[in-house]
Amino acid sequence: MSDPTNHPASYKDPAGFVFWLDGKFYRHINSIYEPSYRQLIDSGLYTALVQQNRLIRHTELGENLSKKESFYKTLLPEQLSFVSYAYEWSFDMLKDAALLTLQVCREAIGYGMILKDATPSNIQFIHNHPLFVDTLSFQLYNPAQPWIAYRQFCEEFLAPLLIGHYTGTWVNNLLLAYPNGIPVEVAARLLPFKSKWNLLSSLHIHLQARVKAGDHAGKQTTNFSRQKLLNILDHLSKGIQSLQNRRDKTTWSDYYDNTIKSQEYLKEKKILFTRLLEQTTGQSALDLGANAGAFSRLLAEKGYEVVACDFDGAAVNQLYLQLKKEPQRILPLVIDISNPSPAIGWDNQEKTAFLQRKQYDLVVALALVHHLVIGKNVSLQQLADTLYPLCNKFLLIEWVEREDEKVKILLQRKELDYANYNKTAFERGFATRFELITSQALSDGLRILYLWRKK
Amino acid sequence: MSNIFLYVDPGSGSYLIQMIIAAVVGALFYFKNLWWRFKSFFTKSKQDKPEKDKLHE
Repeated sequence: MSDPTNHPASYKDPAGFVFWLDGKFYRHINSIYEPSYRQLIDSGLYTALVQQNRLIRHTELGENLSKKESFYKTLLPEQLSFVSYAYEWSFDMLKDAALLTLQVCREAIGYGMILKDATPSNIQFIHNHPLFVDTLSFQLYNPAQPWIAYRQFCEEFLAPLLIGHYTGTWVNNLLLAYPNGIPVEVAARLLPFKSKWNLLSSLHIHLQARVKAGDHAGKQTTNFSRQKLLNILDHLSKGIQSLQNRRDKTTWSDYYDNTIKSQEYLKEKKILFTRLLEQTTGQSALDLGANAGAFSRLLAEKGYEVVACDFDGAAVNQLYLQLKKEPQRILPLVIDISNPSPAIGWDNQEKTAFLQRKQYDLVVALALVHHLVIGKNVSLQQLADTLYPLCNKFLLIEWVEREDEKVKILLQRKELDYANYNKTAFERGFATRFELITSQALSDGLRILYLWRKK
Repeated sequence: MSNIFLYVDPGSGSYLIQMIIAAVVGALFYFKNLWWRFKSFFTKSKQDKPEKDKLHE
């Protein structure tokens, strides 16, 4: 047995911490948290939330595996196959995470408990399903006190959702700039004037920005009640349900619906793609430039657990909403492969960089190469070198010839002639890192699917 | 931007605002309820539901 390692993001909570031991994540509960944990279990709150599929399931272990002091219990939670962060979620993903937080809080109040924090870090997506994963976020409820996590909820969930609602664009990068939530004063200035006429934003953002923080901090006895808190939670919940990211059509999100002239093209590509998939084996797949996920779905059908990435938040959101109707083992994420999420937080280790997070048995990159090489000036060799560590076994990548309509459009906008963008250079670049299994061209001869094995 | 946030826990400082919002929202629910009772008294239609229920459908 090796030594336990503390999870680098798990240092803030005095109730306990997460650690890694022999390939599994565990949760150490400190003795200080015993009364809250007993209430969580004995009141039936844990069972209720687990049955509702809202809270992560765990097994209690009596042994002090972390060997740290002030031990009360060790928990072995259900293990997650992938961890993602709020700045990688689409609008409706953050919206559903916000609603889940409110539902969990409301449920907890019925069992004499309340959430002591309200952050997207408490939630992970299992494919398209948000799950509350921080078992130690519950504390004993005192009806005389307002919600300790109210401001945090407004800054981490409500502010970005309102900005997304009013601007019509998805500004998930703002969450990277403000990883602890967009301060209400900043949100109040970013929101348009008309948001002052909406009760949700005027009360919870604009008014809150005017009331000085700190003036009323402390534990003074307040004249609060359970019903007052439930009213606030309901008001937030109803308001958030009505928010939407209005500009839901973009260049990419209707790519397959309109741009491509013939449905025949897509049909042919799908058949070819499926045939090549037959030659692969594995558990996990990464679909880069997944768009609205047409090919991610084929990967899931083949048995892969898929992480589907696209830089276009609207396309990812569309995929997420479709997955809610027809669930498949696909996690949609807003990732720009030319600028993937960095490692952030304390010691640069709290939240890991996207490229370092996981290796996938199969990496898929369809209709992506020309955008990176001509659009972003990335060399073919650089691309091969970047995809190599992401890939565990196979790489399925599409080459698009210079004569293709889409490439022509890209080239027209550029002054350089991109002479290096040619099939020979592509094959040579990727052959340094991968071994070719097969390549097959679509009937127009301008688009070729390559299946490589990692060297 | 006020530097006061550097010293204040994210949860605190929101107590006063929650008192205010609870009052506003409470009043809102009260009047909405009154309105629905008033309306259903005259229409006597059972299909009329408070907005609250509509949103949950």
